Amino acid sequence: MTIAGAREGAMYGIRRAVAAAMARDLTAFVLPGPSVARSMGIDLANAHLRIVGTPRHANVLIIAGPLDVGLRDAAAVAYAQMPRPRTILALGAGDIAPLPDADVSAPLTQAGLHSGLADLRRVVAAGAFRANTGEFTAAALEVRVEYTCPMHPEIVRDAPGDCPKCGMTLVPRETASDGHGGHGGHDMPREDRPNPADHAHAGHAHDAGGSGAYTCPMHPEVISDASGKCPKCGMNLAKAEEVESHGHGHGHGHASHAPSAHGDHAGHDDKAGGSGAYSCPMHPEVISDAPGKCPKCGMNLVKAEEVESHGPGHGHGHGGHGGHGKQQDHSGHDGHAGHGGHSKATIDGIEPHFMSMVELTEGQPRSSDGLQMDWIEVPFGPFFPGLPAGLRLTLTLDGDTVAASEVRSLVGRAELVDGPPMAVVDFVERLAAMMPLSPVAYRILACASIEEAARVDPGQNARRGRAAAGERERIVSHLGWLAEFGTQSGFLWLAARAGALQLAVRDADIDGIAAQALAIRRLIRRVEAAPLMRMRLGRIARIGKDTPASGPVDRARGGGSDARTGDPTLKDLGFEMRVRNGGDALARLRLRCDEIAQSLDLIAAAGMIAVPQVPDVDRVSGEGEARIETPRGTASLRVKLANGKVVEADLDTPTDVNIALVETVTAQQELGDALSAVASLDLSPWEVRG
Amino acid sequence: MSILVVLLSLAAGAYALAVIERWAVHGHLSLTGPAWAALALMGRESLLARKSDRLFFELGPVLLLVAGLMAVAVIPLAPGLIITDLATGALFLNAALAYVLVALIMAGWGPNGAYAMIAGWRFLGQFIAYAMLIVMPITAVAMRAESLSTVEIVASQAQLWNVLYQPMGFVLFVVAAMGLAWLPPLDLPDATGELAGGVEAEYTGVRLAVLRLARMVIILALAGATVTFYLGGWLGPWLPAWAWSAIKILAVAAAMLSVGRYMPRIREARYLALSWKLGISLALANIFVVGVIALVVPI
Repeated sequence: MTIAGAREGAMYGIRRAVAAAMARDLTAFVLPGPSVARSMGIDLANAHLRIVGTPRHANVLIIAGPLDVGLRDAAAVAYAQMPRPRTILALGAGDIAPLPDADVSAPLTQAGLHSGLADLRRVVAAGAFRANTGEFTAAALEVRVEYTCPMHPEIVRDAPGDCPKCGMTLVPRETASDGHGGHGGHDMPREDRPNPADHAHAGHAHDAGGSGAYTCPMHPEVISDASGKCPKCGMNLAKAEEVESHGHGHGHGHASHAPSAHGDHAGHDDKAGGSGAYSCPMHPEVISDAPGKCPKCGMNLVKAEEVESHGPGHGHGHGGHGGHGKQQDHSGHDGHAGHGGHSKATIDGIEPHFMSMVELTEGQPRSSDGLQMDWIEVPFGPFFPGLPAGLRLTLTLDGDTVAASEVRSLVGRAELVDGPPMAVVDFVERLAAMMPLSPVAYRILACASIEEAARVDPGQNARRGRAAAGERERIVSHLGWLAEFGTQSGFLWLAARAGALQLAVRDADIDGIAAQALAIRRLIRRVEAAPLMRMRLGRIARIGKDTPASGPVDRARGGGSDARTGDPTLKDLGFEMRVRNGGDALARLRLRCDEIAQSLDLIAAAGMIAVPQVPDVDRVSGEGEARIETPRGTASLRVKLANGKVVEADLDTPTDVNIALVETVTAQQELGDALSAVASLDLSPWEVRG
Repeated sequence: MSILVVLLSLAAGAYALAVIERWAVHGHLSLTGPAWAALALMGRESLLARKSDRLFFELGPVLLLVAGLMAVAVIPLAPGLIITDLATGALFLNAALAYVLVALIMAGWGPNGAYAMIAGWRFLGQFIAYAMLIVMPITAVAMRAESLSTVEIVASQAQLWNVLYQPMGFVLFVVAAMGLAWLPPLDLPDATGELAGGVEAEYTGVRLAVLRLARMVIILALAGATVTFYLGGWLGPWLPAWAWSAIKILAVAAAMLSVGRYMPRIREARYLALSWKLGISLALANIFVVGVIALVVPI
């Protein structure tokens, strides 16, 4: 028995002992994530495994359930990051290419997990080392080398050479073969060099990539589509073209930060217009009578007149550009101009040509705190511990503050009906399977909308049963959220306890839930009283009342709506909308706790739990719409039936609404706070329109 | 001879801590678990991140281990059972542990990964929070003992342990020590949910084993320091001196390892604010109070 990811070496002596140790000490990285596995009923805590947060520390990759196509490249990257010997355990995963075939496959059940792990341990003990091992390759891992100018990042070539703008030698850099800037599909940064020069440009380019027509003369990173005031300094925003044409104006702006830069042009003119006929574009103090190379940077010297006209001429040269890449060139060149200024030794105590941070960072976008730092773009997800699985969050970090964020679901939903009319049963199953984090809620929604369309009444008992099933899923989902929050914030007791209760309630009947009710209420009390909790979440991710939001996010700001208020069945059971004040992450946590407690009461009042049966519609035609409150917010589904088959379906989900909040809640937050903020929204990437 | 004994007890202590940590983090209580885990780590590839700063990457874990071992050298386990009884022991401990910061920044920078790098710099911020709160309580301890020698400090507590004599200093020191050892809820540089392992994220195989061992040694050194400075070191009735040291050190280390399990991680900004605004004021008050007591009631 061997494994695909065996480590090279003969299996003898001490290696047998090591292999046996590895078989006992399995550390697992779980795809799409431990939370998804839990909502599928897989109890990883009870399998003598250690779950780790990075593939680097894992020796088994567990794939729970079918792996979405959008996640497969990232999965290949995660696998490639695992040190050998590495193994794959696929639980009901089906096709997982470009990953190699699973070493052990088992059905997606708890029994499947246990038997799969037992097999895996045998396989590892017998085959952790092998004499000749193959390389693992996948398209997502291929790296392409491209060449770029250190000064002009917009210059990118496939072959080495000189920059057409400044003549500097292009430097190689690596990028992913798909051209996504090296970050596509990577859940761990491979390309992020802590190298100031690279990152300054990367971050910069990103920032300048806006298409807004208005910008602040002082803060080029502020870009807006409409005129107005700069949020940072209150100045009136100027048209981008104006700023562009004010080459000198911009230079003056920076001069106010660094007084020495102001005298720059005078000095520059003096020197360049002096006796020397040739000068370096980067180092104006280098003057020569004959053409040649700059002794400082090796650039070709240019005629003095050219240097002279460089600054002002630059603005014209780029006047035709749109918003893209503009500030970058602009400030870059102002930076060089400033260089000359500094070399006039106007700062006491700093010798001329000293490589100062002021020069290095001059012209780069300024952070809200006024400090200038390197900006790096860091990908989080889709398998990041503490963020919803399947979510790709790209943060542009300014130091450890989030300067910009971009969020994307890699598992977004497809059209519900894409092709021939669907049988009602298939439709319900398809929708429920599409939403692994709340399958019951979407099953209820699908059944309710079809009943509306077919004008079928399920009866009072069925309504009560399904209301209770929906409330049970709310408990499960909110407990799952608490467990995720515990994982993210290092509150491990909460992660373990809430995860265990989530699994206990998931399939429990009415008695089972009654048996767990006390433990759940105790957990809620402990969560609310936990030390540091208020400090951790209070005033994080505040959302105002005017921003569109759905579900607990909406109701945690002193108002909001709940689709359950209009439901007579729930009203009979004693439902009243729960609300919390504050609008921050703490209020959301407390509201979810309130809702768990209320759902326990509602289930007890209903006295029965029944997941809805697919309604029997016999060749009916019609249209119907249903709205329910899923654990994450209001979802509505409109279906059109023709001859008893679904021909059209249109779904609106709460995450479609809430995902738009990510940018607001992460802006200018410290990294840890930004991640808490995103987590507090309880997004389900599967609900996002793909 | 005493060097060998101390090192052997250090190894035993590190193993015991690994058992406790597994229980605290993964919820498994297994006496053989860490042995298997260590053996398994030895067999795994020790990957070198692409474009890493090789020197920093390799040296980070080793420097961390060296810093921990140097700190252990001045912890007395029993009368005469100490690697070196320096006249400036308490100061030396502090100096040795200053390299933890250097090692973590090297380990964060070395592997060329954003998570690790941010984690390394985060620890620099954390250093500003805990550094003063390690030194200032030690000052008050040394004031009472009228010596910086750790042996003298233990001897000075024969009448009354410092935990009762200066309880405020004890609390401040333990919290600062947890910050120094980046233990939850002060585990900013390896926050799993925020940085996917942070400083540890890119280490695998043998290098990871060294990093983890070094962390255990640092935790033991700090627990040893807490016991020496506040809990009367080897002092105690009935049992032999070394047994008291072992019990106290393991109990303190276990408490430090498991308390973070019951609360969320602190936010960096709040940690700094609390350390400076509240912590340093309290530490100054502690020095003042201890000074007054030392002058008025000599015990």
